[in-house]
Amino acid sequence: MPPLDMSKYLGLFVSEATEHLEAMGRDLVELEKVESPDAVDSLFRHAHSVKGMSSSMGYEPIAQLAHRAEDLVEALRKEPYRKSRELVDLLLAAADMLLSQVRAAGEGTAIDPAHALLESLSQHVTLLTGSAPAPTRVATNVVVTRPAPTAPGQTPGAGTPSAPPAPGAAPTSEPVPAEPQGPLGVLPRFAVRLRVLPTCQAPGVRAFLVHRRLSMLGNLFDLKPPLEDLKAGRLPDGRIALEIETSGGGDAVDQVLRNIPEVEVTSVAPVVYGQPPPSAPAAPEGPKPVGVEPQRSVRVRTDLLDLVLDSVGELMLATARIRELAKGLPEAHRPSMEEGIYRVHQLVRDLHGKVMSVRMTPLSTITDRLPRAARDLARKMGREVDLVIAGAEIELDRAILDELADPLLHILRNCIDHGLETPEQRAAASKGARGRILITVRRARDRVVVEIEDDGRGMDAAKLKAAAIARDQITAEHAARLTDREALMLACLPGVSTARDISEISGRGVGMDAVKRVVEGVGGTLELDSERGRGTRITLRLPLTVAVVNLLLVRLGAEIYGLPITKVAGAMEMDPQSLSQSLGEPMLPHGTALVPVRELSALLGVAQHPPKGPRPYVVMEADPGRVALAVDGLLGQEEAVLKPLAKPLDLVPGLSGVTILGTGRPVFILDVPRLLA
Amino acid sequence: MAKRVLVVDDAIFMRNMIKDIFSSAGYEVVGEAANGLEAVERYKELKPDLTTMDIVMPFKSGIEATREIVKTDDKATIIMCSALGQESLVMEAIEAGASDFIVKPFRAEDVLSVVKKVIGEG
Repeated sequence: MPPLDMSKYLGLFVSEATEHLEAMGRDLVELEKVESPDAVDSLFRHAHSVKGMSSSMGYEPIAQLAHRAEDLVEALRKEPYRKSRELVDLLLAAADMLLSQVRAAGEGTAIDPAHALLESLSQHVTLLTGSAPAPTRVATNVVVTRPAPTAPGQTPGAGTPSAPPAPGAAPTSEPVPAEPQGPLGVLPRFAVRLRVLPTCQAPGVRAFLVHRRLSMLGNLFDLKPPLEDLKAGRLPDGRIALEIETSGGGDAVDQVLRNIPEVEVTSVAPVVYGQPPPSAPAAPEGPKPVGVEPQRSVRVRTDLLDLVLDSVGELMLATARIRELAKGLPEAHRPSMEEGIYRVHQLVRDLHGKVMSVRMTPLSTITDRLPRAARDLARKMGREVDLVIAGAEIELDRAILDELADPLLHILRNCIDHGLETPEQRAAASKGARGRILITVRRARDRVVVEIEDDGRGMDAAKLKAAAIARDQITAEHAARLTDREALMLACLPGVSTARDISEISGRGVGMDAVKRVVEGVGGTLELDSERGRGTRITLRLPLTVAVVNLLLVRLGAEIYGLPITKVAGAMEMDPQSLSQSLGEPMLPHGTALVPVRELSALLGVAQHPPKGPRPYVVMEADPGRVALAVDGLLGQEEAVLKPLAKPLDLVPGLSGVTILGTGRPVFILDVPRLLA
Repeated sequence: MAKRVLVVDDAIFMRNMIKDIFSSAGYEVVGEAANGLEAVERYKELKPDLTTMDIVMPFKSGIEATREIVKTDDKATIIMCSALGQESLVMEAIEAGASDFIVKPFRAEDVLSVVKKVIGEG
């Protein structure tokens, strides 16, 4: 097994260990003044944490010293009356030494082994407990190389973008803690190896129990053997391997397994992603290394953050409600009231912005796992591939990132499976044997643009058209109207795939439509560009956040509905008599094109009350092309706080959420592509 | 304090055997039940630390009883007593909330080692 690369944890290690050690100092000062069991407990936890972190990082001298300090505190915990000025001095010296060791680790300089101090601590432990301290276990299969230095004036940390990596550089990322849950909302993952003992009479049930207990602790991945085999007791040599994502940490996993009979835990180890592919050039040598600045941080549970955001959303709605009420005030009172409301509105918006910035998470939290996935896939498919990721430090709302992880992986699979040719085919096309996939992330005003580009065979617009026609997704006439670029989007229709060999890796053409749906579900767009023989580029344009959406409010009878502005291509009024007809279908002239007209009331299955005379039409982006929705009235634009639908409304297709207008009226937000599907 | 055990089995022989295993290991067997209905009643009344539960019993199966007990007390520690060949039933019981299982015929040390692990003493 290759050594684990712990470099990405270095920044967090330094900052967190420093916090613990500073707290140790405070506890010791407190302890010197009064007899305080609380301070002793707290001391013990801090020393214990530092020991755990430094041993995971492979810093033996730090782990040893922390372990010794922990032993001494433990002895004090048992026999508080042994506390002396001398012991407190010794522990303070240990805390100071640990601080300087941690700093050295952060700066990449030699760590003082602190032999004399260790010896002195050991002697005191032996004196107090009557037995010599136990040796310290340190992870040996790890490497820590210092990450590329940070630009001056920047501290790596949440909310502060770190310097973009040099082109072609190995992807760097924010430090992610091994455990417990990271400040950026990523659950740590652990690789678990265990064995059901051969004496077990019902290995299948035993394995099932293991699976169930672990499932209750976190999300399981890569279960080997698969669950069916597990339940049937088909366990080669009793062995089970899996990965678990849990906020509980490795200790919790270990604890759960240790309470299961007839099971032997082989290992529980943190999983580290994002090792650069072997061919990726190393990060350039920077100037003199800059020390990793300790950062002050607190960890917040992500669900708590969601609740805070919810409250801010409610606050925005309440403000809108007050503004609405103020309109009914006598003229004399209105200006001062409106001024006050305006001030509150500004503050709430400001608060919203701050909460959102806390939720921002670098894209690296999901792209870090791609290099490894790419390598595995390429090997499986007999491809050679260099994956380069640039700009992964750019941050997005965690809610969007969560949604994006699978689609991104799917796109990568498509690139490798369908996009890239075999080395032989590439040689025949005068291309280098190694395919290249470039993922670039950049900010473009209030959007984040993610481009996934390969230099493979490209897509064939004609074949896509033929496939879409063959699957009755579009008519031949419609196909003829499509430009090549528009035709590429047919790949995103359910069931359309031109890959000759339907492979197990990318599935059966069910992929891209799902990808597109997810991207649009978070308010983003997906574009495809491709040139035959040259490659394909998929561009995702994503909003930074999902919680606030701009809506076009439309009226249908007495009901009001919201349409996301991002999907609105235009709106106009026209007499229904003046609509064009194509194959008996009414068509709305829009720009140079004709757009098919649909009654929104019919799509929603509500009663129709079409007004007389000209009607408003809203031209919406949809699959496979635009549609014009006939509505009864256009009510204008509104900035709305999107609230998810609660059960059972979330089951209604075509509704993507709900918001509450300033008047207190709830409004459904429509998911037009789903309505049309 | 000795852990309090409720033994559920429709066979008196099995109950006695299980009782002996626990008693000799220092546990206190506080009650017995001969079917699932009784098991649920006795559990509510005794609140034992540990319950051993046969699967196939009259009136109400051990799986049903387990489900009902766990519904009222999600901390209930219930160990299923099964025979070889009842694997899928045991899995069902586990899904219903059982903590672990032992396979008949069992030896005293097997039962105790499972129990100790499950209650976190092993």
